[in-house]
Amino acid sequence: MTGPPLLDRRLCFVLGKGGVGKSTVAAALGLLGARAGRRTLLVEVAARRRLSRLFAGAAIGADRPTELAPGLFGLSIEAERAMEEYLDMQLKVRPLVDLLVKSRAFHSFAAAAPGLPELVTLGKIWELATHVEDGRPVWDVLVVDLPATGHGIALLEVAGRVHELAASGPIREQSAKIAEVVGHPAATGIAVVARPEELAVTEATEAVAALREKGLPAAVAVMNGVCARRFTPEDVPVLEAALAATPDGAAATAVRAALAHAHRERREQGQSAQLAEGVDLPVVELPELITARMDLDGVGILAGALGASPAVAPAGTRVAG
Amino acid sequence: MNLGPVLAGRRVVVVCGAGGVGKTTVSAALALGLAAEGRRVAVVTIDPARRLATALGMAGLSDEPRRVDPAAARDAGLDMRGELWALQLDPKATFDRLVTRYAPSPEARDRILANRIYRHFSGTVAGAQEYMAVERLHELVDEERFECVVLDTPPAQNALDFLDAPERMGRFIEGKGLRLLLAPQTKAGRLGWKALHAGSSMVLSLLERLTGGQLLRDVSEFLQSFDGMYAGFRDRAAAVRTLLLSEEARFLVVTGPEPEPVAEAVMLWDHLAHDRYPVAAVVVNRVHPLPPEGDPDPAALAAALTAAGAGDGAHLAGAALESLQDARTVGRRDHDDVAEIRRTLDDPPLATVPALPDDPVELAGLARVTRELVTA
Repeated sequence: MTGPPLLDRRLCFVLGKGGVGKSTVAAALGLLGARAGRRTLLVEVAARRRLSRLFAGAAIGADRPTELAPGLFGLSIEAERAMEEYLDMQLKVRPLVDLLVKSRAFHSFAAAAPGLPELVTLGKIWELATHVEDGRPVWDVLVVDLPATGHGIALLEVAGRVHELAASGPIREQSAKIAEVVGHPAATGIAVVARPEELAVTEATEAVAALREKGLPAAVAVMNGVCARRFTPEDVPVLEAALAATPDGAAATAVRAALAHAHRERREQGQSAQLAEGVDLPVVELPELITARMDLDGVGILAGALGASPAVAPAGTRVAG
Repeated sequence: MNLGPVLAGRRVVVVCGAGGVGKTTVSAALALGLAAEGRRVAVVTIDPARRLATALGMAGLSDEPRRVDPAAARDAGLDMRGELWALQLDPKATFDRLVTRYAPSPEARDRILANRIYRHFSGTVAGAQEYMAVERLHELVDEERFECVVLDTPPAQNALDFLDAPERMGRFIEGKGLRLLLAPQTKAGRLGWKALHAGSSMVLSLLERLTGGQLLRDVSEFLQSFDGMYAGFRDRAAAVRTLLLSEEARFLVVTGPEPEPVAEAVMLWDHLAHDRYPVAAVVVNRVHPLPPEGDPDPAALAAALTAAGAGDGAHLAGAALESLQDARTVGRRDHDDVAEIRRTLDDPPLATVPALPDDPVELAGLARVTRELVTA
């Protein structure tokens, strides 16, 4: 499946296994969008608060977008709140909404109707992505930091599922509209994030296969945390010989660190090749940042690396990496 | 530290922590260690790396425990005095089995298994996976085939979701309010209908307006088909909770040495302690060791590398020194994070596992982690 560069699509989802750095990649994509002059909204779901931490503690609000950087806004979506907003929109009469929200039957229905929290969350994202004011879309790009793989895919596919389940009623029509946008590669792109580790690569490969099967537009794979390329295969026997000649002392410590790095480089190249082959998508590699902590400067560096990829950067804005 | 004494004699070990910290590896390594010490142990894993699953003798999803070949463990350098069994959780299969067990009649069972809502969502509904992990744990403890069950908790939005899962599942199965509304023909329904009538017809018609009548009917049919099963689920949930709160259980909190998982681990620890779960120790996984102090003289290093056959000794020495610098930065960062956990949690029992070049996916690698956790 092909489509425009990721950030030329209105909806960008970031998916991946826990611990691979999804939120960091989402933040970097958001920053890149804003740098390219797009009005960009960075969305986190289920109050994970990781984005807030990356942007120096800027509290990302649930009621209105918070400006995180010039042109970059953040919003946190919570299912309960999204549900009330949805009901408000549908029923248009506040006392009716209150009646529903306070009734036990409604809560039973909400707990039992599987996928309802996911549906209202995705519905809210869709609503933000398609919202028009004064004849133009409010947001050029939404970047959504999804929950970990399984839960993330459940969220992406919920509209299609509900559409199948509901035979009639507004829910059926609305879920069809949402599913159409989320499934269309001109409107939506999914970035699948991995790290150079076996489990993360396998999970990314399987996630892309699952997305394809469900007709969801996987756009790009991101290999996060790749170590610096420093050594050639020819360096390894030299380093080993040096270690054998001087196995103790400060020189040996440095040579051991070099060998460990060289081996890691080779292993990571194997994993990158495996990812590229497994996902059959453009793969963007992001450097591992050896700093004490990931901060806004780090996010900026990653945004630059993402901006060098034609699969990611908005058309006409690509900068030399 | 050696976690062996902390876990001695416990029947359940629950391994929890944020996603991506290596819970599965730690669970499997611990189980291996307890089995090596002579106990009959089962490890319940969730979505392990394929090679790890293979190393543990699990072929694909298998809800039934399979025994890890003792000869393979010996080859990995562990003297296996007990038995290690492993299984991979299959939430859908467990849910189906549960329905089969608690359904009041074969007709009721078939009605649920065939219900469209059930089929679409039994893998994801209301924390089904979390609930199934707890449920399978209880089954295994109940069977008394194993002296100890090690549970790798599922990846969840919140690492503690699985503790509330039985209750949430109970509420879901119960679905009282809606059933009362939708099933006025039953006795309870009639009473409920009367009691709730004033506001409820309005609520129902609003719901119908939003969802279309058919989805509402499907959901209500789904809920009604669980009629008569609620007591079974509720009793189960209570039994699991009692077990997990008892002296027979121990909780371990696993984390990696990064700020996010550490923050989550601290929260997890406090929450478990507050709710009186027997939380026993923290495991910090993948800690990078600090290289010994002292940098070599660049010129001397370059000369040594040239003597070893380097074309450009100075260049290679530069790259080696950069790598050493990186290793120091990362080692110091990890060291500080471990210190931070000790300080914040007031010096809890804490074991560290050094970062290995690759995540251990074979028994030999696993055995290395085992030695850090159980015999160190």
